[in-house]
Amino acid sequence: MTSGSPPRLLFPKWTNWIRPALAAVFVITPAYLVLLVWLGASPQSTDVGYAPVQPVAYSHALHAGELGIDCRYCHTTVETAAHAAVPPTQTCMNCHAKIRTESPKLIAVRESHATGMPVPWVRVHDLPDYVHFNHSAHVKRGVGCVECHGRVDKMEVVTQVEPLSMGWCLDCHRDPDARLRPPDAVTTMDWVAPEDPEAYGKQLRVARNINPPTDCGACHR
Amino acid sequence: MSGENGKRAHWRSLDELADTPEFRELVSAEFPGLEEDIADPATRREFVKILGASLGMVGLTSCRWPKEMILPFASQPAGRAPGVAVQYATAMELCGATVGLLVTSYDGRPVKIEGNPLHPASLGAASAPAQAAVLELYDPARSRQPVRREGGKEARQSWEDFDAFATPHFNGLRASRGRGLAILSEASSSPTLARLRVGLVEALPEARWYGWEPLSRDNELEGARLAFGRSVRGVPDLSRARVIVSLDGDLLAGHPDALRLAREFAATRRGDGGEMNRLFAAEPVPSVTGAAADHRLALAAGSIPALASSIAAGLAAHGVAVPEALRKPARALDARAERFAAAAAADLAVARGRSLIVAGPRQPAEVHALAWILNEALGAFGATLRAVDDPDGDRESHVQSVTGLAGRLRAGEVETLLILGGNAAYDAPADLGLADLIGRARVSIHLSLHDNETSRRCAWHVPRAHFLESWGDARAWDGTVSVQQPLIEALYGGRTPLELVAALSGARVESARDLVRATPTDGSGSPLGEAGWRRALHDGVVEGSGLPPVRVSVRAEAAGPVAARLGVGAGRGTEAVFLADASVHDGRFANNAWLQELPDPITRVTWDNAALVGPATAAELGVRHGEMVALTAGERSIEIAACVVPGVAEGVIGLPLGYGRRAAGPVGDGVGFDVYPLRVSEAPHAVKVDVRGLGRSYVLASTQDHHAIDAIGMEERGRRIGELIVEAEWAEYRRDPDAIRRERHEPKPLALFGELEYGGDHQWGMTIDLSACIGCNACAVACQAENNIPVVGKKQVARGREMHWIRVDRYFKGSPEAPAVAFQPVACQHCENAPCESVCPVAATVHSSEGLNSMVYNRCVGTRYCSNNCPYKVRRFNYFNYFKRTSQVEKMAFNPDVTVRARGVMEKCTFCVQRIESVKIAAKNERRPIADGAIVPACAQTCPTEAIVFGDLRDPSSRVSQLHRHPRAYSLLAELNVQPRNRYLAKLRNPSSGAEEA
Repeated sequence: MTSGSPPRLLFPKWTNWIRPALAAVFVITPAYLVLLVWLGASPQSTDVGYAPVQPVAYSHALHAGELGIDCRYCHTTVETAAHAAVPPTQTCMNCHAKIRTESPKLIAVRESHATGMPVPWVRVHDLPDYVHFNHSAHVKRGVGCVECHGRVDKMEVVTQVEPLSMGWCLDCHRDPDARLRPPDAVTTMDWVAPEDPEAYGKQLRVARNINPPTDCGACHR
Repeated sequence: MSGENGKRAHWRSLDELADTPEFRELVSAEFPGLEEDIADPATRREFVKILGASLGMVGLTSCRWPKEMILPFASQPAGRAPGVAVQYATAMELCGATVGLLVTSYDGRPVKIEGNPLHPASLGAASAPAQAAVLELYDPARSRQPVRREGGKEARQSWEDFDAFATPHFNGLRASRGRGLAILSEASSSPTLARLRVGLVEALPEARWYGWEPLSRDNELEGARLAFGRSVRGVPDLSRARVIVSLDGDLLAGHPDALRLAREFAATRRGDGGEMNRLFAAEPVPSVTGAAADHRLALAAGSIPALASSIAAGLAAHGVAVPEALRKPARALDARAERFAAAAAADLAVARGRSLIVAGPRQPAEVHALAWILNEALGAFGATLRAVDDPDGDRESHVQSVTGLAGRLRAGEVETLLILGGNAAYDAPADLGLADLIGRARVSIHLSLHDNETSRRCAWHVPRAHFLESWGDARAWDGTVSVQQPLIEALYGGRTPLELVAALSGARVESARDLVRATPTDGSGSPLGEAGWRRALHDGVVEGSGLPPVRVSVRAEAAGPVAARLGVGAGRGTEAVFLADASVHDGRFANNAWLQELPDPITRVTWDNAALVGPATAAELGVRHGEMVALTAGERSIEIAACVVPGVAEGVIGLPLGYGRRAAGPVGDGVGFDVYPLRVSEAPHAVKVDVRGLGRSYVLASTQDHHAIDAIGMEERGRRIGELIVEAEWAEYRRDPDAIRRERHEPKPLALFGELEYGGDHQWGMTIDLSACIGCNACAVACQAENNIPVVGKKQVARGREMHWIRVDRYFKGSPEAPAVAFQPVACQHCENAPCESVCPVAATVHSSEGLNSMVYNRCVGTRYCSNNCPYKVRRFNYFNYFKRTSQVEKMAFNPDVTVRARGVMEKCTFCVQRIESVKIAAKNERRPIADGAIVPACAQTCPTEAIVFGDLRDPSSRVSQLHRHPRAYSLLAELNVQPRNRYLAKLRNPSSGAEEA
């Protein structure tokens, strides 16, 4: 071995920008990750717009919108029970035994009617199992269907339009005035308040003694 | 209120009384056994592994919930709404007596069993086993197919295979008029089965019918025959009884009519009506009834006839018209027993016409006959007791019957043996050797829920349909008939005894429903009309079917022979007494995890039975608590762990039946010790045994010192805390009702923090009446079923990790040999200044505006600080994911209204918030106020004595408000200023003034 110190390792000058670049990466990456998870995993991003393909191409726009069938013709238990029941096949056949009896779109319905097996509808508005939402409690107080489900009467395919997150629920539970209407108008999709919605809702709330709970136990049991 | 020398009056265990280091350690550690877990490298490695796995899972799970289907009916049955609970009336039979039930069903699956308020034996309450039947229904170990066993081989068969065998075989039996056919049936009160038996006798006159029930009330029937020459049963009415004397009879828990009797008993124990009953109980081993007694005498079962005789003599001395032969005591007893007999006789005589004597099924027929004689002399008939004809009164005793069957099997006279239910190979008298004799029959068929010990001896095992899946009918103790209707299609097919007997007699049967429908039940002689049938299904009782009281009078010649037998000496040596187990009964519920984990009311032992022995006897025998002992009677011998229990009579060992099962299923197999080998047909209730300690130790998972409120520590810090159990004597209370409040002195200390304000429309609160609570545990099972509470197993219970939200603390008071007992159910007290809330770092436990202390599972990170800071020790932590291995069929038992908790989450009583909310929503939807009493938590709903009251404290006229202001009301640990929303009502005792503590 020759004597003398080992040769100095000399970095070229352009490497100097690595340090500020690394610093930037360390700042930007966490921020990016936080934003990614925050926005990306929020119900607003994951759930809003969810519109799964259903086994029958049932159009709410046609039935509820164009034909004007009331929501409660099919969702019969909405005013009395926690679930707004998806109708049995028999409900479809009330009309379709006479109308469009040959339509290929209704094959699954006729099959179900003949075999007694259910039509496997895909759930769109799906709350976690630890949330106990009750339709009757809301509908009876005058919260319109449209407040949570959007303009179903204009949907060819049912789509989730609200995040249905806890924060979203609480927004209304803390300040329900603008979302209240007379209970007989809950299924009217294009209902508008006769005056300022905030003031009108407040009258309804006071008159009907509506106090939406914000206690945990109201929904989580 | 507190004891002398600074010692507390009430104690839970001998360890606490002696203040042993073990007890101190248990009280000081909030989470006993945790250090071992943390120090154990295997556990730590496991934890890291799981941590790694769960990190990996994060990336794999998608962001949306799994795709869910909605499957509506093709054609919806009328009156059915998805997710809406419906209740149906049905009935459960146990040992020939029935309790009417209301079963809650969600979307066609039964999830919760409650008592039927219209049923006379239920009055809305249900026992622990009845409520746990829903778990039995979904037991994955239930047999699903017929099994054929031949020459040591077994094969699963289809129902077609069984029918292909059974139809020609049954036809052959009919052709031979039933020659060589023997039927062994468990006790049944079914009017339809009785009707079919008549048809069977006609079709197969040479067939023989036998009955076997390990815990039967044969002696009672025999006693009635002795006294009256007629087979009657007694139906007590405690509502009018002032003085009750129980001779080894567990009226409040062991009697077929126990729920009603407990309700009536407790109704006059509250000291409100100016009257209070007095209960004298003499028994060898403490029972629920003994615990409720004002005077309890621990006495060997063999000495109770002599005690009864002394009471009779005492009554004669007080001028009661006792027959001549019974006016002298049969033999001398010790001073304690004599004092007890004298006090009981004096009170009985004073309360003539409002007094009652009952004898238990363990006592010989003579004691029952004597009870009848004395009841007649005291004028009890028509007042506190009525006699009704036993519907199956002509039968021979179960022991005689099964002995007869064994003899015929041994003689080779039985070709075909059909066994309907039961488990005779396990629980028949050991000397008969029935298990081995079954094989002597050429063909043997066993109908049973499980492929159990008896099935394994039989050529055919036939799965039985559960009572929640099948049609049937049954009678209550007072004769009332209930129709048993199915709640769900049979999960695995299954037959019922009705169907098998009908098939055997060759009747063409469409369905079991038709069989039941065709039986006359209302006494009119013809089947119910359509309206009556529908009503019977709806109400759960057939109107007018109760048995009418009959007039009976004691035969004059009865007294002599009775008197002669009462003096038979108890003999020398240790007496082993067989007991019905509070959880598994005679062993039939051994595979039910809820019942296995339910602490015994007295011993607080879970997942085991043990030889129960009093402290003095244990010392005399040289046996330690938890030591294995060998019990020998002649050439029969068993080994069992000893459990030292205060209050067991001297020279007595209590042996709970029903454990040590070998073919019960994965839950019940090998749990506890089989004591049936000591039980012989000569002496089915008690035998003399030799006891030998084996030196080996055995771990008994007893909960008696778990979650002990650290009163000792408090005491050392200055005696600021009053007694946890407040008691008063009725005579004193009547004189001065405010004495309890005065002595108790609940000051209102200054709050450390600003007190919360509660703005809700309702303020929920509860009271628990310790005078009414009999410690039966029904509330604990109700809570378990309602709130999806997991079972943790023996090992976890031994570490104090049982999950019950409501525990029934059992306290002793006085000497370890003859203690008084008090029960105190403790659930979350819903403190207004809740100490748990102020220490939670993530606000996972918070208050609602209505005063509920809510637990937010999703926020909980498992620090367990709240549990550490809870003075009442009511919080339960999920150390594991206890539902991880729950099978699909078991999940059907979950209550869909309650979240199933995961690992690492704290939980506790919620005051059944799901029930509160559902009643609130329904009331508000209809814009009406919530009526007082409309909201009933599961524990209060099922309480047989109505000890638990729940309601709105903001309404000053509600029952719970009134009780909160009651002179007997007190708060547990009021001095801590946590302001619990639950208040207790002090326990009243009514000892006889004439007798010192017996």
